[in-house]
Amino acid sequence: MTEAQFVALSPLILVGLAALVVMLAASFKRSNGLALGLTLAGFAASLVSLAWAAKVAPVQVTPLILIDRLALFYLGLVFLTGAAVALLGHGYFEKRAGYRDEFYMLLLMATLGAGVLVATTHFAALFIGLELLTISLYALVGYTRTEPRSLEAGLKYLVLATVSTSFLLFGVALLYAELGTMEFGKMVDLIRQGGHRETLVNGAIALVGIGIGFKLALVPLHMWTPDVYEGAPAPVTAFVATVSKGAMTAVLLRLYLLVGGAIPDSVMTLLSVIAILSMFVGNLLALLQDNVKRILAYSSIAHLGYLLVAFIAGGNFAPEAVTYYLIAYMATSLGTFGMVSVISGREREAEELRDYAGLFWRRPFEAGVFAAMLMSLAGIPLTAGFIGKFYLLAAGVDMGAWVLLGSVVINSALGLFYYLRIVASMYAAETSAKPGAAAREVALLGSATLAALALCLIWLGVFPAGLITLIRSAVLGV
Amino acid sequence: MWPLLVFIAAVMVVVAAQIVLSHFLGQRHRERATGEPYESGIVSEGSARLRFSATFYLVAMLFVIFDLEAVYIFSWVISFRELGWSGYFKIFVFIAILLASLVYLWRIGALEAGPPKRRLREAEVK
Amino acid sequence: MTSVPMDHGLLLAGLLFAVGLAGVLVRRNILYVLMSLEIMMNSAALAFVVAGARWSQPDGQIVFIFIVTVAAAEVAVGLALVYQMFKRMKTLDADAASLMRG
Repeated sequence: MTEAQFVALSPLILVGLAALVVMLAASFKRSNGLALGLTLAGFAASLVSLAWAAKVAPVQVTPLILIDRLALFYLGLVFLTGAAVALLGHGYFEKRAGYRDEFYMLLLMATLGAGVLVATTHFAALFIGLELLTISLYALVGYTRTEPRSLEAGLKYLVLATVSTSFLLFGVALLYAELGTMEFGKMVDLIRQGGHRETLVNGAIALVGIGIGFKLALVPLHMWTPDVYEGAPAPVTAFVATVSKGAMTAVLLRLYLLVGGAIPDSVMTLLSVIAILSMFVGNLLALLQDNVKRILAYSSIAHLGYLLVAFIAGGNFAPEAVTYYLIAYMATSLGTFGMVSVISGREREAEELRDYAGLFWRRPFEAGVFAAMLMSLAGIPLTAGFIGKFYLLAAGVDMGAWVLLGSVVINSALGLFYYLRIVASMYAAETSAKPGAAAREVALLGSATLAALALCLIWLGVFPAGLITLIRSAVLGV
Repeated sequence: MWPLLVFIAAVMVVVAAQIVLSHFLGQRHRERATGEPYESGIVSEGSARLRFSATFYLVAMLFVIFDLEAVYIFSWVISFRELGWSGYFKIFVFIAILLASLVYLWRIGALEAGPPKRRLREAEVK
Repeated sequence: MTSVPMDHGLLLAGLLFAVGLAGVLVRRNILYVLMSLEIMMNSAALAFVVAGARWSQPDGQIVFIFIVTVAAAEVAVGLALVYQMFKRMKTLDADAASLMRG
């Protein structure tokens, strides 16, 4: 390994090292604070090393991993989100009995997996990254083992995710059998040249698509989402909603850039149908729920539908629009699920809608932040979510994709309805029939993280130019 | 292809004939020990479907995982000379990580044979 | 002796994959579901070995080792979850473990 390669890989190495250090620390001294400190130190070190790695980028490290500006940008995003989840988890697990240190260890490993995913240019590395991410997630989803729902969610996720991974693997195996390589770039070139069995290649690509679509929870592969989101501990839900989907989007983006927009019309039509279905199914089913975590789960399905629209209708804008939308989505999801974990009490999570009744009068600060997050999810102006949607619509108008645009508009209206339902219940008078699950004590670190996120959202909503320039330099540098 | 098909057919016929013929020609008896696994041996004791202690599961799992890590070490050994020092350092890191996880397992008490000590620790945490 | 054509190997892998998938869908005992998952993963691994043999590259076998390792890790986590669930619910029936709507 040359020095440049080592430098380029250092962000990934540091996160892996941090996982190891947390594990060793946990075996000698169990302490929630110490584990959090080590985790944050690990994330901070790898974030700093990103700047170091940026000097040598782009570097191809073995055929497996390419550290370019796109990868560095997404690595930064993934690590920042991971650190935020660690901060949220500290307060959440402090309130609960049982081992806490392993949460950080698993979190670091899952983040490492996501990091490998965003930098991969080879299906073998994609598989390793994906599995590192998902296997850590099985354990994280089932982490509160005294809670049967958490265990059930973990098992369901394990079974369904393994099935989807098997589909992906089988598809890759068929592609490899036909093309003789597993590198993204070479595969795209070979497929373009033609001269192999079309049906086999197309079927294999469909199998790979199933694997990717499952991770992104696009309709009709969305069935796992509500259950896993509901059963998992709230900070873990935040992680599943953000990092695991963000990393997969980065893979999709890389493939998209390689294909260079030359996607056949039939595939585009199929993707459009999937996007429209995801939006409608997500939003309509969210209307029927009373559980906040389930509402947010269905809302995340709809948001991935919007994201897909950015891919389809984006044209040359696509990488930029997708990345911006993803950042807005990640920040808000982190905020909303973070809020659920911050105001959850000792016995159970604050997940029923009635747990939020009167929240504004009891804890005005948290309620205000939560409302801001929900507004951003709905795409109200002055929030990051609005700029994301604006990008989407502008790109769509540019391409003249009217059907898609129409669905986006209708769905935004639908979405507004259930987001406002949560907000309205926060301002309603407290129902005194049953004391809510909301915690009386305040998790300081978690609240501070959320406040920072809310500021971030509004900052991005009012002054998006800075981030847009950064995204442009990242995606165009490929 | 033909000889193979004929062979398969012949096998089918012979097997079927054996089953049918022995059904009609063979003797049948029903004594006290006929249904037992060892008709003329040690009388079996209890059910085969007994439940094992969960500690065995843990040991089995640890074995499976560390056993698989050996595959990587073997594949390094095969190309030891070609990989040279760079390969040596890489496998060194790999084994160091394995050792670290072994230390972790030892400290949390996963390697204890019996349950008591682990229960104690769990009680401490709660 | 001629070698086995690649398509036969892929066909076998495909059949195994179908067997595994059917097992996941039909079986209700969670342990059998885990076994069926294992069959699915390993059928993909077999397909990789077959494909690697066609191009006489080691890549297929490397991915095979990866898959086997990952499958072991998955089973370890899966069995741990099953063990915890059995401790609390006293059943291995996948349908019984369905507390959540949808």
